[in-house]
Amino acid sequence: MSLSVNTTPDIKEAQSPTSRAWWRFKNDHWGITGLLVVMIYFIISLGVWFGIWGLDWSQTSDAFHQPPSLDHWLGTNAIGQDIANRGIYATKVAFEVGLLVALCATFLGTIFGAIAGFKHNSWIDSCLLWVMGVLDSIPFYLFVAAMAYAMSELVFAMHLAMILVFWTETARVVRAEVIRLKHMEFVESAHAIGQQQVLILFKHIIPNTSHLMIIQATITFVAAIKTEVILSFLGLGVKGGISWGLMIAEATNDIQAGYFNNFIVASGLLFILVIAFNLFSDALQDALDPKLNK
Amino acid sequence: MRIKLLLIWLLALLLLACQPDSPEQTGFTSDSTKKVYRHSEDDRPNSLDPIKASTVYSNLLVVNIFDTLYAYKYLQRPYELKPNLATALPEISEDGLTYTIKIKPNVKFTDHPAFVEGQGREVIAQDFVYSIMRSFDPKNGGTGAWLWQGKIVGLDEWQDNGADYDTEIVGLQALDDYTIQIQLTAPYPQLTYTLAMGFAAITPREVVEKLGQEFGSKPIGSGPFILKKFDSEVAYLMKNPDFRTEPLDIYFEGYDPALHSDLGIEQLHEQSPPFIDELEVHFIKETSSRWHSFTKGNEIHYTTVPKDKQNTVIMQQEPLQLHPQITEQYHFNYGLEAGFVYHGFNMLDPDFGISADEVQNKNNHALRCAIRKAHNWSQKNRAFYFGLGKVFPGIIPPSVPEFDPNLSNDSVEVDIAGARALLAEHGWTSENLPVFEYHVSGSVLQKQFYEQMRGFMTLMGYPSSLIKYKPYPNFGQFNKAVKKRQAPFFFMGWTLDYPDAENTLQMFYGPNATPGQNNFNYQNPEFDALFEQSRTLQPSPERTALYRQMNQMVIDDCVVISGLSRNKIHLWHKNVITFPDREIVGGFHLRYVDIIKE
Repeated sequence: MSLSVNTTPDIKEAQSPTSRAWWRFKNDHWGITGLLVVMIYFIISLGVWFGIWGLDWSQTSDAFHQPPSLDHWLGTNAIGQDIANRGIYATKVAFEVGLLVALCATFLGTIFGAIAGFKHNSWIDSCLLWVMGVLDSIPFYLFVAAMAYAMSELVFAMHLAMILVFWTETARVVRAEVIRLKHMEFVESAHAIGQQQVLILFKHIIPNTSHLMIIQATITFVAAIKTEVILSFLGLGVKGGISWGLMIAEATNDIQAGYFNNFIVASGLLFILVIAFNLFSDALQDALDPKLNK
Repeated sequence: MRIKLLLIWLLALLLLACQPDSPEQTGFTSDSTKKVYRHSEDDRPNSLDPIKASTVYSNLLVVNIFDTLYAYKYLQRPYELKPNLATALPEISEDGLTYTIKIKPNVKFTDHPAFVEGQGREVIAQDFVYSIMRSFDPKNGGTGAWLWQGKIVGLDEWQDNGADYDTEIVGLQALDDYTIQIQLTAPYPQLTYTLAMGFAAITPREVVEKLGQEFGSKPIGSGPFILKKFDSEVAYLMKNPDFRTEPLDIYFEGYDPALHSDLGIEQLHEQSPPFIDELEVHFIKETSSRWHSFTKGNEIHYTTVPKDKQNTVIMQQEPLQLHPQITEQYHFNYGLEAGFVYHGFNMLDPDFGISADEVQNKNNHALRCAIRKAHNWSQKNRAFYFGLGKVFPGIIPPSVPEFDPNLSNDSVEVDIAGARALLAEHGWTSENLPVFEYHVSGSVLQKQFYEQMRGFMTLMGYPSSLIKYKPYPNFGQFNKAVKKRQAPFFFMGWTLDYPDAENTLQMFYGPNATPGQNNFNYQNPEFDALFEQSRTLQPSPERTALYRQMNQMVIDDCVVISGLSRNKIHLWHKNVITFPDREIVGGFHLRYVDIIKE
């Protein structure tokens, strides 16, 4: 999503790059809307975490396929479970997956990307590039599905599979940025005063890729949620709990029988979150773009 | 310009490649005067080799391509055997150990290059002997040997001694070309039933030896139909023109005007089957596709009603009434399956099964009984079987004559307070309850079964976090886990092989423990003694009493949460004359199908 950027005199008054980025972000109305929606989802997830709502998601009843009512706001499914409760609980599952995968993949991607970039044209760089190339050459969903299936005994099999896939993109972006940064004056100065290479990398270079890390994390977050839905739909994702993917999978039977509640709720919740996160992510990219910050 | 022309040619070739098989390829003609019946099934057979006909899908085709000595009467309910290739029901010696069976002369296998001059030869008694031996040959991987294991004199020894087909077996002999003699180690009243199963279908040795493993996809028999083509989507069969002439006597077959008069079956009286020229069996797993194929034109003529279409079909449940738009367009029948679904415990599991420690054993028993009390069959029936299933206590289902309609329903009625009390009485709390693993073949439907079970159990105080879902990618792997005793609790179905409660009771007989049919690994010496006592008895009140006693033992020991027999609705087009039944009759009804030409 491309958004017009207002370069009124106010922006020049902003002193630091961070305040300039914040100023740019808060003037992006679509981005703010996206952030607000994501915050609402996050609050819903927190409510489930703290046991405030969504606790009865697994409770079955005699009321099969009920339409929306005061008792069941979004109706019930084929075994009398409350669809609203399931949708709410699944929001927490989506956030758990999204956050865990985004954090781990971004962390791994940043570390390996930074090392590869810092050791550009060395054997370490070649090895890391080879690993990334191998992982990227395998069809994405096939790889994740195979990994999730192979490790199906593990509770976090799906999460691990996604982390293994998603870190490479962050690593490539960070690597390119580190190659650019390592020739800049502040890095050469650090070398000149005899600072250790590890310190230079972790103290001076990696912090300067933080804007990329944030952007990559948001992209990975959305990708992880979408992938979780697909894997759960295929029966390779969430096992014991409930997720939007499982609700959509359940809906394949319901739809044939003329019941759409499960499908509309799960796909609607997913659609809104993905759109909101994309708006937020786009706005963040624009706000943190160093070219616009100059 | 040349490139454009080339592209157009390539596109045309591509489109040609996409067209369906031509009639020449399938062996079928497009002759509109021919009668073609298109049947459908919700899954496909793995093999058409009789010794591997362990599923209803395989059995359906096997009994139409091959002959069996016996079959079930087309319309008679309860099910009743009749001679098929045999001339009469077996002559049984007074001690019940020797069965003598005469077979019909001049019955021929269909043509195949393996025969002399490529022409099908006569079916003789030795072919039957060979066919049963094949099930016991370890090289063949047959799945039906359990029916005769340890029951026919010398057959197991023949297997142990290397399965040489030229060696005679004392208890399984062809006295002449048309006489078979079977000698049993002990009376086996169910033997005749087993001879009506696909497993006992008669195969020609020379063709089997020539084709090897290919015989499973290119079978040659002497049945009413000849297989022309078979793949994962469809089986094309044509009428066997040399099939013996045996006029249909609808009254002998159990015709009842009250049940069958609207179906046109009386038109077929005294005519010789098969009545159709071509038979197509379409394997359509996806319910929506099957329904559309059935309702839109003549892609298929027959279907069972899928769960997701029950709203469209059923207007009223008690008594069952279908929507007028369905009954106006289609014929239908419905009835209880000859089988049931149940949840079972692995009695060797340390947390839920038998324990050497007496106190623990009692506690485990209480835990199993509490779980059974929490199970709500009524809710399950309404959620998954549209309330049409028949819930019954124990393991003797309503479809067999030994069913006891007066048996207490306590074991199938939900009693949450009772379950909680039982847990408390035996010291079970949320702190010491074991992890409950629900093993199942993974699918959306099975996940819903699990979720409902979890819902029932949480009502009696079982912590949700201790109830785990253990899915397997397919039924084969799930079944393997059950056979390897890895599943402490499982949900399964059992379809009866013959209308005798012995067929379900043997699932609890100690020596049949896994990898045998006793998936529960139930070991109860008293039960085993009664089973051994009853298995040699002919149907009688004495035997029924023993059966019911065993049934009560299984109920008292809380080995299973059982059961429910599903009620299936069959629909078929009005231009088709048939009375379909997927149960014990299997595919025998297909030879009596006729099409009314417009």
